[in-house]
Amino acid sequence: MLKKFTQTNEFLILIIIIVLSTVVGLINPKFFSISTLFDLIRASNVYIILAFALLPVVILGGIDISFIAIAAMSAYATHMFLIARGYTGGILLYFVIACIIGGLAGLLNGLIITKFRLPVFDVSLATQTMWYGFTLFFIGATSNFSIPKGLVGYYANYLAKVTDPVTGDTGLHVSIIFVVVIGVLMHLMLKYTMLGRNIYAIGGNKDVAIRTGINHNKVTIVVFVIMGILSAFAGVLQSAFSRNFNPTLFIGQNLDVLAAVIIGGAALKGGRGTVIGTVLGVLLTQIINRSLVLTQIPAEWQKFFIGLVLIIFTALPALRQKRAARLGLAVKSEVSGS
Amino acid sequence: MSETTVTTKSKKKTLRIEGQTRLLLIILVVAILFFSFVNGDKGFLKYRSVASMGVQLAEIGILALAMMVTILVGGINLSINATANLGVVLAGYFLFRIYPPVTSPGTTPIFTQINAPANPSTISLIIGLLIPLSVGLLTGVINGLLVGYIKIPPILATLATMSLFTGLSAGLTKGRTITGFPTQYEVVAGKTILGIPLPFILFTALTILVAILLRNTTHGFKMQMIGTNETASEFSGINNKAVIMRTYMLSGVLASIAGIIIMSRTMSAAYEYGMTTYVLLTILITVLAGIQGGFGNVFNLYIAMLILQVLSTGFQMLLQGVRGSTFFKDFSWGILMLIIFIINYFTRRRKSSNQE
Repeated sequence: MLKKFTQTNEFLILIIIIVLSTVVGLINPKFFSISTLFDLIRASNVYIILAFALLPVVILGGIDISFIAIAAMSAYATHMFLIARGYTGGILLYFVIACIIGGLAGLLNGLIITKFRLPVFDVSLATQTMWYGFTLFFIGATSNFSIPKGLVGYYANYLAKVTDPVTGDTGLHVSIIFVVVIGVLMHLMLKYTMLGRNIYAIGGNKDVAIRTGINHNKVTIVVFVIMGILSAFAGVLQSAFSRNFNPTLFIGQNLDVLAAVIIGGAALKGGRGTVIGTVLGVLLTQIINRSLVLTQIPAEWQKFFIGLVLIIFTALPALRQKRAARLGLAVKSEVSGS
Repeated sequence: MSETTVTTKSKKKTLRIEGQTRLLLIILVVAILFFSFVNGDKGFLKYRSVASMGVQLAEIGILALAMMVTILVGGINLSINATANLGVVLAGYFLFRIYPPVTSPGTTPIFTQINAPANPSTISLIIGLLIPLSVGLLTGVINGLLVGYIKIPPILATLATMSLFTGLSAGLTKGRTITGFPTQYEVVAGKTILGIPLPFILFTALTILVAILLRNTTHGFKMQMIGTNETASEFSGINNKAVIMRTYMLSGVLASIAGIIIMSRTMSAAYEYGMTTYVLLTILITVLAGIQGGFGNVFNLYIAMLILQVLSTGFQMLLQGVRGSTFFKDFSWGILMLIIFIINYFTRRRKSSNQE
């Protein structure tokens, strides 16, 4: 059991996270503090939910880049709609309306992809461009800072609070509950339901899955609806954190989320990927992004080091896979030789 | 003239590609007619607006070529824009070293401001152009190593190098824009031959070169083999790694040429120039042109680019004065792509049912 665990991708990332944290902690002891941890968790929450949105699509074998546009459009449209009606309540109604819009936008992706048998990447490229354009032209082109009363204090809605003399108050934000609930549901769905097993089956080998009687179209559409709903959820959450609703929310960050999911062990070709791995992948990328601030590296060089670290962390699994493939090939030739 | 040779050749190729070219041409003509009609009095097809389009189209077009060659081998190159910027930033760094600004004693010279004399030595001007080209080659080697040899998925490898190259430019310039390039460089973007901007001629020449590479050379054939089926090409004796490496090197050099044109047009070099728009735009163009692993027609790239530009300029003129009118083009691009995908689906289906 333990030996099996040490060979997993999750274990590798965990080790990398521990080593990286130790190094950063040695350079700057401030890294080892409760407030840093809480900040890290709060910043990661939104991206973990975004990564959860993308994970089933990746397992299915597709690369979607439109989920950030769906997130931006749903959150912004919901906000403009509610503000125009003088809404003053809390975040719950935001979530409900945005998730409906997001789900419909995801449904559109799924329908186009299955109905016209098109590559996920091409369709999502078109819908991403379309949704950002739609939001900016038809709904509004500027950030909106008039937040309803019920939402004003949401960014500081803490489960536990710590007071730091330097950085001020921080705490464990309630949104961690969402992450845990969504994560557990996602894990159960992928692991123990018919739908989840079908997603892996299609990602592993689409033709075989279809011949065994899996309704490929139905599974694909459901996956994209889930993607839309979770993206919209993350969009509202991020907007509530930053206390403004932005029509170009998350723009340009789709590939960073994809990178986190892939670093977390999901295969770009589909068929592989876990919830735990995804969480660790996001945490790792967030630690890389945030820890550089705490080291002595000047701000203008940070992008360079992020690139360097990203190369190392994508090369490691690639090299491991290459080695496994070579060993596999060697075994095969041995069998055929005997 | 040169384009017609490409089309006549494309007729020899499969019907599929011919169909896409025809579809794109029809859309282009319809779009031009539509906007000439609705924008009639605003002078949609005036020489001035077409000529100013020419320069910017050329940079985007050359970047799209750089993107296209990698997509043909089943990859993608997200680092093209970062390569373009890094090349001219390093050229600027070199020119700054040999022409530092005059400073009063006691103060350190501000980087980023090149103090080029009116007549800089020819050698330094040439080196200033050779630096971006070799940077393009070198970034191609790095991408080729990561994608071809280490086998990192191209989308991740080039995402990482995009950050790496952008970060290097940002670090060297401390996030500032380099200005004061020798005025002799203005020729590249500013000169016109028979009324056609030089960048556009350069772009056309490179398009023809890439077309020849793909159609008439073994390397081009191997590229398309790899893009169609990597395993099959490996087992048929093609050195996939080497071909992928050379493809990314070509991509890097093309990107750096685009960088030189940008530098010449803006007379500056910045680490973040075009960062948010150019890469996505080039992917849009290649996908619209129907380019995918193993299949692609350079001529389609040309028309796809023109279509996007016509829609952008056309709607801009049509919606003049409407709030957020510049964003309508994105919406129209997305819708247009979906329409083209769906038309392609139906033509594919009709063709396969005809064959049966």
